[in-house]
Amino acid sequence: MKNVIISDATLRDGSHAIAHQLTKENIAEYAKAADKAGIPIVEVGHGNGLGASSVQVGLSLLSDVEMLETARENLTRSKLGIHVIPGFATVRKDLEVAFKLGVDVVRVASHCTEADVTERHISATREHGKEAYGVLMMSHMASKEVLLDEGLKMQSYGAEALIIMDSAGAYLPDDVEDRISHLVANLNIPVGFHAHNNLGMGIANSLTALKAGAQLLDGAARGFGAGAGNAQLEVLVAVLEKMGYHTGIELYPLLDAADLVEKKIMKVVPSISSSSLVSGLAGVFSAFSKHVAAAAKEYGVDPRDIFFELGRRRVVGGQEDKIVEVAMELRDGKVRGAHAE
Amino acid sequence: MQNKIAMLRSDCAEVLASQVERLAPLKNQLVYVTGGTGFVGTWLAEMVSYLNDDHGFGTRLILAARDLDAFRAKAPHLAARADLELVSQDVRYLRELPEGVNYLVHAAATPDNRQHASDPIGSMETITRGTANLLDAAMKLPDLKKILNLSSGQIYGRQRIDEARIPETRPGTLSCDSIMSVYPEAKRYAETLCCAYWSLYKIPVVTARPFAFMGPYQGLDKPWAINNFFRDALKDATIRIIGNGLPERSYLYPSDMAAWLLAILVDGTPGHAYNVGSPTGVTLGDLAEKIKRYAQSSSIIEIRRMNDDRSRFIPDDTQCRKTLGLQVTVGIDEALQRSVRWLKTIA
Repeated sequence: MKNVIISDATLRDGSHAIAHQLTKENIAEYAKAADKAGIPIVEVGHGNGLGASSVQVGLSLLSDVEMLETARENLTRSKLGIHVIPGFATVRKDLEVAFKLGVDVVRVASHCTEADVTERHISATREHGKEAYGVLMMSHMASKEVLLDEGLKMQSYGAEALIIMDSAGAYLPDDVEDRISHLVANLNIPVGFHAHNNLGMGIANSLTALKAGAQLLDGAARGFGAGAGNAQLEVLVAVLEKMGYHTGIELYPLLDAADLVEKKIMKVVPSISSSSLVSGLAGVFSAFSKHVAAAAKEYGVDPRDIFFELGRRRVVGGQEDKIVEVAMELRDGKVRGAHAE
Repeated sequence: MQNKIAMLRSDCAEVLASQVERLAPLKNQLVYVTGGTGFVGTWLAEMVSYLNDDHGFGTRLILAARDLDAFRAKAPHLAARADLELVSQDVRYLRELPEGVNYLVHAAATPDNRQHASDPIGSMETITRGTANLLDAAMKLPDLKKILNLSSGQIYGRQRIDEARIPETRPGTLSCDSIMSVYPEAKRYAETLCCAYWSLYKIPVVTARPFAFMGPYQGLDKPWAINNFFRDALKDATIRIIGNGLPERSYLYPSDMAAWLLAILVDGTPGHAYNVGSPTGVTLGDLAEKIKRYAQSSSIIEIRRMNDDRSRFIPDDTQCRKTLGLQVTVGIDEALQRSVRWLKTIA
């Protein structure tokens, strides 16, 4: 039976879905439930990761320290993971604090063409004896050759796995197969996949990644994540077990954890809204959905036009200010909605 | 500090016991080392210091490099010596060398693969342009006797699965269109450039191809398997092996490395290349077990089996052994035990 390592993004990617307003009670209850289910890695934090709480991308209700302390207290079997984007998080101010708080797995992420910014963070993680994964976000924006080149850099820095993120939920299964198989064939480290569900492909793409050689998959309970959400964790695990893969996760406690999220944490169960679908088609970062909705309302423009224009401009995470700029230009008629007529 | 120096001096005395006479051509000579404050240069300085102090060699050494402060911090006992001069220099911009230089060791270029990935152009320039600059400058030296060009075992690419050890005659299998080839391809170019200068101008240049080393002055920051094993073992943390633990590597203790390099500098045949590394392989799984044992660590060794890598990277040392009479003095177990002692001393 083949093993798959599951990383649970509920308390990190799900943070996007509630504007980073996770409470201590949310974290404690879910972490305890995930731990009981035996989920290997539980990610916790602001949606954009350690040190990201800001006016630009959204202020967290809790500090990083409060979130990590709360999670740590409630995880015994599961490893505590964090998402780290250099630029938001610095080694001394943020990472070293996280190490002291007992973080086990550090997923150091960059835009898919900028792996060189991750060297110091990956190195620091390894020097502290923690597990370091490299993460390439918005990976649909790069060819498989570029992803390999960036992945090799992360491998050189000491990453122990490479996670490919479909941050915009833009992939079709063939895209996943093409990229993951190329990476698996040419890297020495295991490859993982992080799906978003904008085109309804979260589970299908995850399975395709697995068949292409991926050994790590991300998911979130009830799909609780940015935009249309992630691959729905409990569905993913159930399907994997049915297919004969081993995740080490117990089904009933996992289902209990997912029920808990629906009842106590999420305001609405993620669905593929029109704007999420458009976001996926346009290849725009899923976590932009709330910002786009707000800008569309404020400037009286069609959010779908904002998404397509952002996609045309190849805007990436961290460029949230472009959303307002595009909305204003649409309002003023400086650009036309791509699908307006 | 005294304890550290005593360990280094003991290592030098041990490996040079049978080599002092053959190194006599270095007496009262001026040796210039590019990249001289790195791992190789520092060990050469330890050796020359020993030869001067205990055998009256009177050899003078110039260590040229970009970061001299780091050297002063790690080896203040060497930095303070009258027979050693530190020169600030970037080999990419080298134009001339001190006129009295008799021997050149070209060791500029870091084997740190993180740097190759982050600064591929700078890394290649240091090797390609640096080597060209050095050879041009060497042409003007009136009393030059030999150049030792430090290449790399990585120029061979992946070792053939049917081959126990890599001989110098193996042409190598590198993919020139990968970021991972930045360092070895530049080293191949540098070797060929040395060959061209030797052919055209009869510059006496000999090449060494270093493999892997472990011992004093080896920092644990580079993300290489053995470094991770030591670091985790010393912290009683889990030692993680992503694959099956079966890849085989070999490690030479640095005093042997330095002694071999000096022997190649003196007696190596110009135009030839010599592998410098231990011919005794050890699997990564066994290596982790040994390090755990010698560090008296309570670490758990976690073999994840996430790949089926059974690669091997072990040099054939026949040429050094048969033509230069060199041998490994410090075996793998002793090398690991000494490394543990060193790392605990400097902690």
